[in-house]
Amino acid sequence: MTTTFEKLRAGDAIDGPAFAVSRDSIRLFCDASLDYNPLHLDDEYMKGSFGKTNFGGIIMHGMNNFGLISRMITDWAYPAGAIHRRLETRWVKPVRPGDTIQPSGTIKAKQVTEKSRWVLIDVVVKNQTGEKVATGEALVEFPRDLFCQ
Amino acid sequence: MAQTQAFETDFWKDANLRKVWDDIVPGEPRKTIPYTLTKEAIELYCKSVGETHPIYFDEAYAKTTRYGGLIAPPSIHILLMFSCTPADDWMRSPGTVNAGQSWSYNIPARPGDVITLQARALDKFIKRERLFVVHDNVFFNQKGDVICSGRGWTIRPM
Repeated sequence: MTTTFEKLRAGDAIDGPAFAVSRDSIRLFCDASLDYNPLHLDDEYMKGSFGKTNFGGIIMHGMNNFGLISRMITDWAYPAGAIHRRLETRWVKPVRPGDTIQPSGTIKAKQVTEKSRWVLIDVVVKNQTGEKVATGEALVEFPRDLFCQ
Repeated sequence: MAQTQAFETDFWKDANLRKVWDDIVPGEPRKTIPYTLTKEAIELYCKSVGETHPIYFDEAYAKTTRYGGLIAPPSIHILLMFSCTPADDWMRSPGTVNAGQSWSYNIPARPGDVITLQARALDKFIKRERLFVVHDNVFFNQKGDVICSGRGWTIRPM
């Protein structure tokens, strides 16, 4: 069923894709993003502490969460002719090789402005034990000249 | 272009050239470099996050959409942040921890776009013994149109 601005209600859910995190997936993200920070590559380096934080091993890029949330939002928006306009995120817990993470969204509010229509979405990424690893908020525009794809 | 081949993947090299928290001046522009976004770079980024939508891969399909051709996913700025900055940029300092980001999207980046970045630290502060820097960034295409703008919070290595 195609999503429409009129039908959306606060509390409606958006399901995102499960993503298996591995050393290979992290390495691929290094190559794709050009972010070769040793946090994501170097086990020896990650035995050390960062100020008050010790991660105990390599961690996934926080922006990999961001990319997954963005994928969920665009895959939901495109068929409705809507446009992903904003995403704000905070990283809550580190993600490690072996974790499986999954983003999801909940419609929070709708807003009509002079020239367009907007939907605010609470987003969260959880790991395999249900812990939140990232939280945030997305904004999707439903233009009046809908162009459904 | 040999941009990707020329990219230094050892972030320890040149580490001594990068600004530490003390050196970073909020408001001062960061050095940036133009980058030509390729279809291959978009496809690699898509693969890394599992993007499969045909609007990124299938030109015939993309022509039927509101965009009239292939586009990059909005989150392509993740790649652009590193491709539009030089090796001595402080975002590359080993141990830089990303605490969160917010991005606004205007128009999509497209394969073949020559993308430029205007970027700076906007603020720096200390919280719970951690050294934070807030950075803001705007990416433009070759026509001077804004692609996206964003702000990030990083914890600096000590």
